[in-house]
Amino acid sequence: MVAIFRPEDEERVRELFAALERPVELLVAHGPEETPLPGAAQDVDFGAQTERVVRGLADLSERVTVRVEEKPPSFDRYPAVSVQPEGRDVGIRYYGLPWGYELGSLIGAVLEAGRVESSLRPESLERLAALDRELAIDVFVTPT
Amino acid sequence: MLLAYKAALASPRVRAAAIESTEFPALADQMEVYAVPRIVVNGVPQWDGAVPERVFLDRVLAPAFE
Repeated sequence: MVAIFRPEDEERVRELFAALERPVELLVAHGPEETPLPGAAQDVDFGAQTERVVRGLADLSERVTVRVEEKPPSFDRYPAVSVQPEGRDVGIRYYGLPWGYELGSLIGAVLEAGRVESSLRPESLERLAALDRELAIDVFVTPT
Repeated sequence: MLLAYKAALASPRVRAAAIESTEFPALADQMEVYAVPRIVVNGVPQWDGAVPERVFLDRVLAPAFE
């Protein structure tokens, strides 16, 4: 087992994952990586570390599984993680190594994907249902 | 980020991606990322910072995109 959390955090994530209503697959996409900025870690194998973190999450629940692919279609850059409820690609991507605060948002994505019903408010769901075009939302983040 | 992911789960028309800025500096430069989170919709930077659910939807569903 790969430990990526402190014991108390791991226990908390285990508890949260125990409440998943349906299985969630985490697809790790590997491929050619860009050169990170000076100041960012230069000797980190981001792809390997991403896979390690994702496997660490999957270790915490039987309902969370990992699949690894090399340069799958519909990924713009690597490494990347797709959160897939019941193995379905619903357009969720994390590009880069999910760490620090952003690991929390990946866990949040797994929890939401594991819900049968959205946790968004009914009025939000109505507004989204009325959408008549594609919406690509990109959020630039840093792990600290 | 979580709101964007929830929207992607709730609608087949929505995709949501987190992009770690220091690992993809060329793209972050192109989107003029100085403060995070920076939210970009359909390739156009929109705003910086976390906002509540209703405001998030207001901004991503804004008439400019409809």
